[in-house]
Amino acid sequence: MGSWFDYTVNGLIIGNIYALLAVGLALIFGVSHLINFAQGSIYTVGAYIGWTCVTYLHTPLPVTMLIVLVGCALLGIAIERIGLRPLAGAARIAPLLATIGIGLVLDQALQLIYTPDPRALPDPLPGWRLQIGGGTIGAMDLLIAAIGLVSAVVLFVFLRYTKLGWAVRATALDRDAARQMGVDTDAVNRTVFAIAGALGGLSGLMVGMYYNHIDTAMSFQATLKGVVAQVIGGMGSVPGAILGSLLLGLIESWGVALFGSSYRNLFAFALLLLILVLRPNGMFAASRQTPPEPLTGTFIAPSRAIRVPPWLVVALTLLAAVLPLIMNSPYALQTLTNAWLYAILALSLTLVAGTVGQVSLGHAGLLAIGAYASALLALDLHVSVWLAVPTAGVITAILGTALIFPAFRLRGHYVSIATLGVGEIVGLVILNWESLTRGPIGLTAIPPLPFDSVEGAYWISLVLLVALALLQVRLVRSHLGRTFRAIRDDDVAARAYGISLNRYKGLAFAVGGFAAGISGAVTAHLYSYINYETFTSQISILALTMVILGGLGNILGAIVGAVALIGLPELFRATAEWRMLIYGITLLLLIRFRPQGLLGTV
Amino acid sequence: MHLTRRLLLSVPAVLLPLPALAAEPILAGVSGPLTGPNAQYGAQWKRGFDLALDEINGAGGVTGRPIAYVFEDSQADPRQSITIAQKFVSDSRIIMELGDFASPASMAASPIYQRAKLTQFGFTNSHPDFTKGGDYMWSNSPSQADEQPQLAAFAVQKLGVQRPGVLFLNTDWGRASKDVFVKAATDDGAKVVGTEGYLPTDQDFRPALVRLRDAKPDALILLSYYADAALIARQARDVGLKQVIVASSSIYSPKFLELAGPAANGVFTMAEFFPTEQRPEVQRFVAAYRAKYQQDPDTFSAIAYDTMILFAALSRQYGPTREGIHDGLLHIKDVPSVLYGKVTFDPVTRRAQAASYKFLLVKDNVFTIWDGVKPALPAL
Repeated sequence: MGSWFDYTVNGLIIGNIYALLAVGLALIFGVSHLINFAQGSIYTVGAYIGWTCVTYLHTPLPVTMLIVLVGCALLGIAIERIGLRPLAGAARIAPLLATIGIGLVLDQALQLIYTPDPRALPDPLPGWRLQIGGGTIGAMDLLIAAIGLVSAVVLFVFLRYTKLGWAVRATALDRDAARQMGVDTDAVNRTVFAIAGALGGLSGLMVGMYYNHIDTAMSFQATLKGVVAQVIGGMGSVPGAILGSLLLGLIESWGVALFGSSYRNLFAFALLLLILVLRPNGMFAASRQTPPEPLTGTFIAPSRAIRVPPWLVVALTLLAAVLPLIMNSPYALQTLTNAWLYAILALSLTLVAGTVGQVSLGHAGLLAIGAYASALLALDLHVSVWLAVPTAGVITAILGTALIFPAFRLRGHYVSIATLGVGEIVGLVILNWESLTRGPIGLTAIPPLPFDSVEGAYWISLVLLVALALLQVRLVRSHLGRTFRAIRDDDVAARAYGISLNRYKGLAFAVGGFAAGISGAVTAHLYSYINYETFTSQISILALTMVILGGLGNILGAIVGAVALIGLPELFRATAEWRMLIYGITLLLLIRFRPQGLLGTV
Repeated sequence: MHLTRRLLLSVPAVLLPLPALAAEPILAGVSGPLTGPNAQYGAQWKRGFDLALDEINGAGGVTGRPIAYVFEDSQADPRQSITIAQKFVSDSRIIMELGDFASPASMAASPIYQRAKLTQFGFTNSHPDFTKGGDYMWSNSPSQADEQPQLAAFAVQKLGVQRPGVLFLNTDWGRASKDVFVKAATDDGAKVVGTEGYLPTDQDFRPALVRLRDAKPDALILLSYYADAALIARQARDVGLKQVIVASSSIYSPKFLELAGPAANGVFTMAEFFPTEQRPEVQRFVAAYRAKYQQDPDTFSAIAYDTMILFAALSRQYGPTREGIHDGLLHIKDVPSVLYGKVTFDPVTRRAQAASYKFLLVKDNVFTIWDGVKPALPAL
């Protein structure tokens, strides 16, 4: 049938675009073993540099491209120098958080400079269209494909035949050995970030022209698609990234053909999970390739945790408990209620990410499961809220663990990406399973929490937080906690000692899922309305930020991190449009001076 | 932590537009996105609000007091809209709340406003259940139950569309719109041949368009915002769809023309107001808007402007108190409005009466009043 040909062409066209995004990410990952969450923001910066040139300087396309390449290469170097090199000695997780912070700062700065209104970025190419099947392709499609191919070839030649390219490859294989052999690894890092930045910026320009549309909120989606594409192709592999992108585009297009647009991303993420589980080295890796670097042990550097005296913790808890009696500010109480609920989520994440070493980027999915479970129990089965919330916790524990189970065999970054996929899939299933979840319309009139007042919600969240925190303290101090840490520090050794990895990981995710489910359930009753957009993947990133900021595995740290990250944007409220920029800079400074987290990793 | 709390309380909360008059201003609280992915709509709101304030305060304000607003950035995120709600309800100077932008953020805050008896005026909240949150939830957002039958009548009866294919934004707004549209179009005698819901983050519509193309529609119906509609219009031509495009009033924005480029030509849409209209409210608004911002207004800035004018009228006629605003909405009649001409609220649904629409066609990259000529539809 003719349409299948069209779907295939369309899939290749969009895959072509993903390829430009994925190549830069792959290059950085290959050398630094870092998922660069700022790559999407460089892409957006590139688009805006291009827009500025075209609009104000009326530069022809080749000149625009050159300016964007140079500008974004410099930006890449600046990111490496300012944001990442100072963290070279710190835990591996700190640079990840730094890239999140840098991305936030870049996006917010663009929004302040250019306003959030979307802008048109017309392409200056001739308007002819080539008829292919039922549809057409234009000069822009061919240019994008050519840029993808040329950059891959140039990179190949650079990596294979130049001295600096050898240095890059040596550093990618073994940074310490490379340095011993006299390779200037700082120069290598700088080069890699410059190339990745240049490619990222160029892709922003090209995609902006392709759609005739740029806006300051396009970074996150770009990063997301780029990451998925490069995982499919094999993390860190440049040709793999291109092939993975084309495959992703095809699967999406065929997925739409079979089931419709709202299933599009469901297919993309299902493919991602399938590939991670079946071929974790990527579709195109040789099957006998050595497994990727474990990353455990080195991923979370131990540090000396700050010991908070127990009397202080007790005193602060008591103060928190009596606060509604001594302070008459519903606004502050609501903010702290949010902080307690996020602290419960952070407890869950600090257990699986910090104590067991499974860095999850899909915790928003667990929140959503808890929220929908509790809301539906209360709405459809008329279960009382008292019962619905804990039941939702149990349901989340079971369902969450089952969903993440296929990822148990993965390690390091692969766990993060798999859980990211699971989180997205949960949201998309909620959108599409209309008979249960009422799809995009969402759940309205969810019964409120008992004692329908701000103080009531405050105390309920606080009691739940304290109870779950105590439970977790008990857990990590028991033999279970030791086992969890053993798995985190060296899973091979742990297995050699007869520890069943899957069972303990399952246990950790069940306990974490329970806490996250409770947090989501209380949130649903607090909001009274939820739909699939209530729990976005940004929340997963926020939760991870809290946990890293507090100190991985540190229970008190998770609570401090949650209070800080919920409180700071409120503190900066008076600065209106500037507040997220100030928040991002604060976050960067905190990482810079406390890379091991405020209270230290445990 | 103790320090954090004290700081939280001491932060000066208010960013006031400079009061032109010396007296204590009459305050509305606005909860909406100034940062984050929906920040562009918050920026449009501000333009509408500020224009209305120029007009109201330039004429001496209300009983000698200026009107002003406090805009708190929620990023259209429910977690932040509920803290803002607490802030507003405990600030006795604020007598009416406006916003939030999207339903999840607005409706999460509704219980707080309802408990505190502060009117929540969700002027972009068309979710069918928004005003059911309580008797303090009101909206002048055109209800999809009113708009979509008119779009269907325009497409089917006036343009002669028999086999529409529908692309809709798969949010609560788009989904509710689609359901009403499909029913209305079917009642009008057309056969809806396909519907495709897309996500707010989608930018590539080619596969969805091919899918619709295979259903052989004689027209494409877009229930979209202007940015998505522009992308769809461009890509529709690329995949070989030559059918006419009829889009909901939410695409009525100069940004649509800019983003769609030549692909905007031939797109039919409708709007509650149009610059060449003779209605004095429209003339005043459009002239002032062009003078202040050097661009044409869109629906978002117009409804924000209307809302601020309504706030002033309520304060003037029923007293600048929370009770005055709430009781006033039950009784107020015929407030001048860009969208509605004269707006009056139904005390049961707490929504405005149905708006009337102008039918538009994009020609040479400008919106024009449709001249009544039926487009050539593909024979099937």
